[in-house]
Amino acid sequence: MTEPAQTNRALDGLKVLDLTHHIAGPYCTKLLADFGAEVIKVERPGGDPARRMAPFLNDEVDPEKSLVFAYLNTNKQSVTLNLKSEKGVQVLKSLVAESDVLVENFSPSVMPSLGLDFQTLQGINPSLVMTSISNFGQTGPYRDYKAADIVEYAMGGLMYISGAYDREPLKHAFNQAQFKAGTDGASATLMAAYHQRLTGEGQRVDISIQEAVATGLRDVVNNFTYTGAVRRRQPNHSGDLSRLRASSDGHLIPNPGIGAGLNWDVMVEFLDLPELAGEKFNTPSARLVHAEELGRILDDYFVKQDKYERFYAAHQKRFIFGVVQSPEEVMADPQFAARNFFVDINHPALGTLKYPGAPFEMSETPWQARSSAPAMGQHNQEIIGHRLGHTSEQLAQMRANQII
Amino acid sequence: MPGPLEGVRIIEMGQLIAIPFSMKMLADMGAQVIRLESTGRLESYRSDSVYQNDVSGEFWNKGANFYEQNRNKLGVTLDLSKPEGLAILKELVSVADVFSENFTPRVIKNFGLEYEDLKKIKPDIIMVSSTGYGFYGPWANFGATGPATEGAAGLAYQTGYLGGPPLMAEIPYTDYTSGEHTVFAVMAALMHRLRTGQGQFVDISQTQATSATIPEILMDYSANGRTGPRRGNQDTAMAPHGCYPCKDAERQDNGGGGDDRWITIAVSTDRQWQSLCWVLGQDEWATDTRFEDSMSRWQHRDELDALLGPVTRDWDAHELMHALQRERVAAGAVLDSKDLLFDPHLIERDFYEVVSHHESTGIPPLPYAGRPWKLSKTPAVKGKAAPLMGQHNALVLSELLGKSAEDMAALEEAGIIGYGPTTPRPVRRPPMEEQVRQGRMQRFETDFQEQVRKAFPGD
Repeated sequence: MTEPAQTNRALDGLKVLDLTHHIAGPYCTKLLADFGAEVIKVERPGGDPARRMAPFLNDEVDPEKSLVFAYLNTNKQSVTLNLKSEKGVQVLKSLVAESDVLVENFSPSVMPSLGLDFQTLQGINPSLVMTSISNFGQTGPYRDYKAADIVEYAMGGLMYISGAYDREPLKHAFNQAQFKAGTDGASATLMAAYHQRLTGEGQRVDISIQEAVATGLRDVVNNFTYTGAVRRRQPNHSGDLSRLRASSDGHLIPNPGIGAGLNWDVMVEFLDLPELAGEKFNTPSARLVHAEELGRILDDYFVKQDKYERFYAAHQKRFIFGVVQSPEEVMADPQFAARNFFVDINHPALGTLKYPGAPFEMSETPWQARSSAPAMGQHNQEIIGHRLGHTSEQLAQMRANQII
Repeated sequence: MPGPLEGVRIIEMGQLIAIPFSMKMLADMGAQVIRLESTGRLESYRSDSVYQNDVSGEFWNKGANFYEQNRNKLGVTLDLSKPEGLAILKELVSVADVFSENFTPRVIKNFGLEYEDLKKIKPDIIMVSSTGYGFYGPWANFGATGPATEGAAGLAYQTGYLGGPPLMAEIPYTDYTSGEHTVFAVMAALMHRLRTGQGQFVDISQTQATSATIPEILMDYSANGRTGPRRGNQDTAMAPHGCYPCKDAERQDNGGGGDDRWITIAVSTDRQWQSLCWVLGQDEWATDTRFEDSMSRWQHRDELDALLGPVTRDWDAHELMHALQRERVAAGAVLDSKDLLFDPHLIERDFYEVVSHHESTGIPPLPYAGRPWKLSKTPAVKGKAAPLMGQHNALVLSELLGKSAEDMAALEEAGIIGYGPTTPRPVRRPPMEEQVRQGRMQRFETDFQEQVRKAFPGD
């Protein structure tokens, strides 16, 4: 037994074959890659469709200039492979033989239709962990249903409770459901990999994006099982202290504290709003009775305030105010700056840009940007050629036959 | 079949969601999670949303939110303000693999429980701290709620109706986003330790984890200096893409508040657009040149939204979803609490897990949300309810740490351990009728117990 090498990569030595596209799957494999796994991304000949996803640098529609693609595919290597060809499938199977993990996020019927179902792959590599991320999971009546992020919000239960009381439900901006499922996929993959390291056993991991949303709803379902109540979007006109309010320069969340721990008199003094003193407002139940008046007073007050001034002043008093930051403000945030969250990454087509970096910090095995997102097929030569032992002629042949 | 994390011991000093949720996920997969709590400072989730809205008796063992976040854990009470309590915590750390907490760094430093302190007790310990803004930096000691970090991260700024103010989720959303990343972080640290024998400190900033999930705006700002408007439910490429009203016959019949049924539809291709027109019986839309390709549909997305609502309104949301999905159009009914619980797809996949509660609580076996993953060979362990307060004091302190019966009695006498809050103070919620009147709940159904029992009979 040789002593394992000490490296500062948490997932050093984990070999991941990445058949994912769009967002959920690539975020899963990005997390694995950014913490040290070797990730080989297999793209269809036209490339991952995320390469065609806006926004682009300077709005130039170019498969090497999609900004979200660039973010999602750091630290990965790219090979192109036509899995609808026999030779392409054969090459893929050679890659499966030397991988610990395969991650894919096709519709559930796709892998079997390519002859790449789990049983077949396990025949090639018995200890393989195969992670599949899909809209509704690999089983069940909605298995083959189509989805977009908004559909996952609806079917995962987060949509109904989000937005204004008297308007249509509203989803979060962008692709939060996909990111949730990607994160969950990375976690579950490591649970299976942990078991693989201990026992040599492989297994199938089934991630449902709908369930990724439905897992994080606090008391939505329990309101019904505990009291028979159906929770809905909350009325926005109340004096609810946890509400977001407008400031002179944006918005803040002037939440003074949680529940019974709030000292109302200190709060009134801090805001210098003597009209809020006394028993009309100084208990939770009194505030409920006079909610509308309270809400009006607070709105009138905060709309004249500077959000950061109030934010910092509140924290001096340990009121847990929050501030709504624009992208510009996020990127100038002194807390992020102190933690070096935004990281310069140099990319051949994009130049050097600041990217969101470590989602969390690990003291011994830090998040690392070792390489920028790969160009389409950038590592064909190295991986399909050198590693799998194909000659230049064979590679040229594959290119001519549109296999790569 | 043991879970994949069998043999991993985690000491949790968590509160509310961020850490409790992520440690539950690890407990589900076989880790032994010992959750510490204070009898002097009652965790608010223990006493909030109690069963049948009834705060009589041991209400602190009846809170829905507590049961939701703490399945499969062992519960130990410990007063850390006393040296004996702190000493026991350190004894637990000495036999643990992971120590996790989500207090502010100030509290952890005051207790002397930083990574450097714990490393002396257990050299290969993995310590996980989850805070609003991160364990160090100028905002490190700023307390935070989910909404505060949703705002700081940049997510709230971009979310809202067209032309409206920023909006946030009605739950502490970023607790989950960061919690999901915490599960991954612990697994990465465990993988590293398995290979090298080395522990480490994991510093979760709930804001940072959330910002990592919005490259669409942060990369656009970084590269192009651009900030887009709030778009409501509209997409940057697909149209129609939105949430449209549906018929609410059922609720009007049963006396519940009607007119709050919705469907989401997302069209990305010409074929899907033609199918949508066909299902909705709108031949003229199908040939309208304003909608002939994806670019022109997107340019006329406001017109599309205005046209769709009046037509979807005549449909039942589930019927329309199935009709559209049969034609391979992405569509989903907007599920409320009850729809979600009884969703045939989730039930077929055994997403909900029926958990039995201690008989002293009077709570019958109830279904809880499971996990977003299924592992074929090492599935989750069978769900056990969250612990009663102090339920596993004896098991953990006697069996694991070898405290004698006299030690235990002395600890209880000194108030280091206990079995109920020192100052019981329930959160009284208004009656259900009043909650509906205030708009906090959409409706409530008096026969819910029977409905739940029928759908989830348990063992």
